Amino acid sequence: MATQLAIDVRKLEKNFGTVKALNGLDLQVETGTICGFLGPNGSGKTTTIRILLGLLRSSGGSAKLLGGDPWNDAVELHRKIAYVAGDVTLWPNLTGGQAIDIICELRGDRDKKRIDEFLQIFDLDPSKKARSYSKGNRQKVGLVATFASRAELFILDEPTSGLDPLMEAVFTDCVSQLSDEGRTVLLSSHIFAEVEKLCDTVTIIRDGRTVESGALSKLRHLQRSTITVSLEGNAKKLAEVKGIQDLQTENGRTSFSVDPDSLSDALAALAPLGPRELVSTPPSLEELFLRHYSTHGQSELKAGEQHG
Amino acid sequence: MVSETSVRIAAAQLVGNRSRYTTLSGFWMLVWFIVRRNWLRMLVWLVVLAGMIPLVIDSQRELFPTQAAREAYAQVANTPAVAAMTGLPYAAATLGGILNIKLWMTEAVALAFAVIFLVTRNGRAEEENGRTEFLRSTKLGRHAYSLANWAVFGAFSTVVGLACAALAISQGLPPDGSLLMGASFAAVALVFIGVVAIVGQLCQTSRAANGLASIVVAIAYLIRATADVKAKNDQPLWIAWLSPIGWGQQARSFAENLWWPILLCLGVAILLCIIALRLESHRDLGAGMLPARKGRKSFGAFGRTQLGLTLRLQRGPIIGWAIGILVFAAFFGGVATAMVDLLGGNTPVVGVFAGHSGNLLDGLLSYFVMTTAMIVAAFALQVASAIGTEESTGRIEIQLSGAISRIRWAANRLIVPAVISLILLALGGFVLGATFGSVTGIHGQDPKFAAYSTSFWPSVLLVIAVTMFLIAFIPRFASALTWAFYGVVVLLSLLGNLFKLPSWLVENTPFTTVSKLNANLNVAPLVVLSIIAIVLLTCGLLRFKMRDTKSA
Ligand SMILES: Nc1ncnc2c1ncn2[C@@H]1O[C@H](COP(=O)(O)OP(=O)(O)O)[C@@H](O)[C@H]1O
Ligand SMILES: [Mg+2]
Repeated sequence: MATQLAIDVRKLEKNFGTVKALNGLDLQVETGTICGFLGPNGSGKTTTIRILLGLLRSSGGSAKLLGGDPWNDAVELHRKIAYVAGDVTLWPNLTGGQAIDIICELRGDRDKKRIDEFLQIFDLDPSKKARSYSKGNRQKVGLVATFASRAELFILDEPTSGLDPLMEAVFTDCVSQLSDEGRTVLLSSHIFAEVEKLCDTVTIIRDGRTVESGALSKLRHLQRSTITVSLEGNAKKLAEVKGIQDLQTENGRTSFSVDPDSLSDALAALAPLGPRELVSTPPSLEELFLRHYSTHGQSELKAGEQHG
Repeated sequence: MVSETSVRIAAAQLVGNRSRYTTLSGFWMLVWFIVRRNWLRMLVWLVVLAGMIPLVIDSQRELFPTQAAREAYAQVANTPAVAAMTGLPYAAATLGGILNIKLWMTEAVALAFAVIFLVTRNGRAEEENGRTEFLRSTKLGRHAYSLANWAVFGAFSTVVGLACAALAISQGLPPDGSLLMGASFAAVALVFIGVVAIVGQLCQTSRAANGLASIVVAIAYLIRATADVKAKNDQPLWIAWLSPIGWGQQARSFAENLWWPILLCLGVAILLCIIALRLESHRDLGAGMLPARKGRKSFGAFGRTQLGLTLRLQRGPIIGWAIGILVFAAFFGGVATAMVDLLGGNTPVVGVFAGHSGNLLDGLLSYFVMTTAMIVAAFALQVASAIGTEESTGRIEIQLSGAISRIRWAANRLIVPAVISLILLALGGFVLGATFGSVTGIHGQDPKFAAYSTSFWPSVLLVIAVTMFLIAFIPRFASALTWAFYGVVVLLSLLGNLFKLPSWLVENTPFTTVSKLNANLNVAPLVVLSIIAIVLLTCGLLRFKMRDTKSA
C-alpha cells in the first residue's frame, strides 16, 4: 500500500515496574483519516498516547509518528501535533485565555483570530481564572487551544469527558471539519456513538494489546445484526436456518441475531412467513466492545486484521 | 495514587454510613482518615521537635555544669540579640531557664509552622484539588472535615507538647515547669491552628493560605521581639500581649509557672475555630471569602514566553518573599546596632556569633547576613520546586507536548529563582547595611554589605541545584527531601554549635563555609560550591531529559 501512515505503532510495550501497561500494541493511522482508539479504562490508551508524545519512553516495539521518532524528534514533531488530554489540568491562577495563549505559543502556531473563533464556538469565558472552571470548562480550554491549531495531526485523548451533550455535538462538528481539511486525527474514546459517527478506522485494545482494528465499515460486516420482525407465519421455522441465533418471540414480535454471511439465507426464510415491520439493528461499537470485553475468548479476527 | 485510593475508600464508607445526617456526620471516620494519611509526617515532626529537648538539655548541662556557672551565665544572658531572637531570658540560672533561652522560640515557632502547613495541606489544598468535593458529595457533614482536620492537628500539638515535657522530666528538670513548657508549645500551636482555620476560609489556594498564615506568624514574632527588646528588667513591653507567641512566653515555665496564659491561648484558639466554622457556613465549597478577581483574557508577547510565564506564575511568591526578606534584613540591621551599644566584653553567648574571627560585631553581622541568605535560599527552593509541581499536577504534559525541549523548559524555571535570588541577596545585604549604618552612624557601607551578601549566591545556587537533582532522580519524594535537606543545613548552620556537633561539619555547611564579613574573602569555598552546584544541576537536567514524565 502506498498510503502514508501518520502513526505507525508496532508491538509496542511499556512496563511500569512490574505492571505491563502495553503488551504488544499495534496502531496504524493513515494520513488524512480519523482513527478511533477504543478500550476500557486502564487498557493503555493514555499510555500509548504519552509514548507518542515523547512523554514516556517505550520499553519495546516501535513507534513512528509523521515519519519521525516520538522520543528523539519530539520538539520538531510537536510543531505538527495538537494534543488534548482527557483531564486538562491548568494553572489555577491563570485565566483560561492565558492558558490557551501559553499552549498555542508552545506549539508555535498561535493564531489570535482562530482562538477567538473557537472561544465563541465553545462558549467559553476566557477571563475567568482556571480554578473557578468546572471540569467541562477546563476541557473546553484544552479543546479551544487544540482546534485553533493548524497542526497536521490531532491527538485527542478522551477529549469530551465532562462536556454536556450540546458541546459534544460542537466537538463532533469540529472534528468533522478537521477531516474535511484532510488532517489526521487519533481519537481515543469510549463514547461509541462519537467514534461511530466520526471515525474511518477503529483500533480496539484490551490489556495493552490490540484486539481488533480496521475500517469501521469492515468491522461492522463482521458483526451479527439484530433483526426484529412481526411475522404472520410460525417463527419456529427460522430456527432451522443456519446462522440464526438467539431466536425469541415475545408479544408477537420475533427477534434473532444473524451473522452477515447468512443474512441472505435468513431473509429468504423470512419472506414466506409474511414479515411486517422489520427492523434491522446494525451492531454498535458497544456490542463490539461487549463481545471483546465480556467474553474471555480472544478475538478470532485478530490475526487476520493486523497490517503487514 | 495511594491517596486517591484512600479517598475513594473513605467516600465509599461514608456512602455506606446510614447514620443521621448532621453537619458533623463522619467526623470520627475523617479523623481516622486524616491520621492515616499523615501519620508519617506527624511522626517526623514529633521526633525532630521532641528529640531536640534532651539533646539541648544535655549539651547545656555540660556547658554549665555547676550552679556557679549558671549564675555567671545568668548575669550575661540578657542581651538584646538574645531577647530579640529567642525571647527575653528569665530564670537563666536554672537548667530549665537555660533550655527556654536556647530552644523555646525554635520549638514554638517550628510547631506553629508545622500545624499551619499540615492543616492547610489537609484542608485548603484538598479543597483546591477537588478531593474534598468528592468526599462531601457523600453523607459527610458540612463541618465534619474541617473539624476533624483541626482536631487531629490540635491533638498532634498536644502530643508534641507532652513528649517534650516527658523528655524534659526524664532529663531531671522539674516536672511542673516541664509540663508547662510542653503546654506552652502546644498552646501557641493551637492558636495558630485557629489562625490557619480562618485563613483557610479566606484564601482560595493553599499557597495563599500558607503565605497569609506565615505572615501572621512573622508579625507575632516581630511584635514579641520588639516587646522583649524593650523589656523592663525581666518583664516585656505590654505589646507582648498582642502576640500569641508572647502569650506562650508569658507562661514562664521553670520560673513563676503561670497556667492562665495557656488558658488564654486555648480560649482564643476555640474562638478562632468557631469564627472559621461560621465562615465555612457562608461560603461555597472551593471558594474563598476573599473573592477571586476576574483575570485578563490573554497574555502579552512577554507573558507568552516561558520566562514570562514563570515570572507570572511565581509573581506572588516573589513579591511575598521579597517583602519578608527585606523586613527581616532591616530588622537584623537594627538588632545589630543594639548589640554594639550593649555588648562590650566577651560572653559565652556571643562566642557563638563571633566564631573564630574574634570580632563580635563582624561575626554577628555575618551571622545575620547568612540568615538572610538562608531565607533567600528558601525562596529559591520554593520557586524551583515548581518544576516538580508542574509535573505532579500533570500540567507538564500539555507543555511538553508543545515544541519545547525538556531542558529548555526546566532551564526557564531555574533561571528565575537563580537570578531573582541574586537580586534579593544584594537588596537584603544593602538594606541590612543601611539600617545598621543609619543607627550606628557608620554610613556608606551599604555596597559592602550588598557585595558580601551576594557571596552567598553559590550557596543558594547549590540549593536550587539540589532541588533540580532530587526532582529528576526521586520525583515522588523530591519536595519532602529537598526541604529536609534545607532544614538540616539550616539547623547545622544556625544551631550546630548548640548541639556540640564536630566543628568541621558545622563550619562547612553550604552557608557557614562562606567567609565572614570583613575577613579575607576565601574564594575556594565559593568555587567548590559552584562546582557542586553545576555538577548536580547537569546530572539533574540530563536525568530529567532521559526519564519518563511522572504524572497522575
Ligand atoms: N505511571 C504509571 N505507573 C504505573 N502504572 C501505570 C502508570 N500509568 C499507567 N499505568 C497503568 O497502565 C495501565 C494503562 O493505563 P492507561 O494508559 O492510563 O489506560 P487508559 O488511558 O486506557 O484508561 C493501567 O493499568 C494503569 O494502571
Ligand atoms: Mg486514559
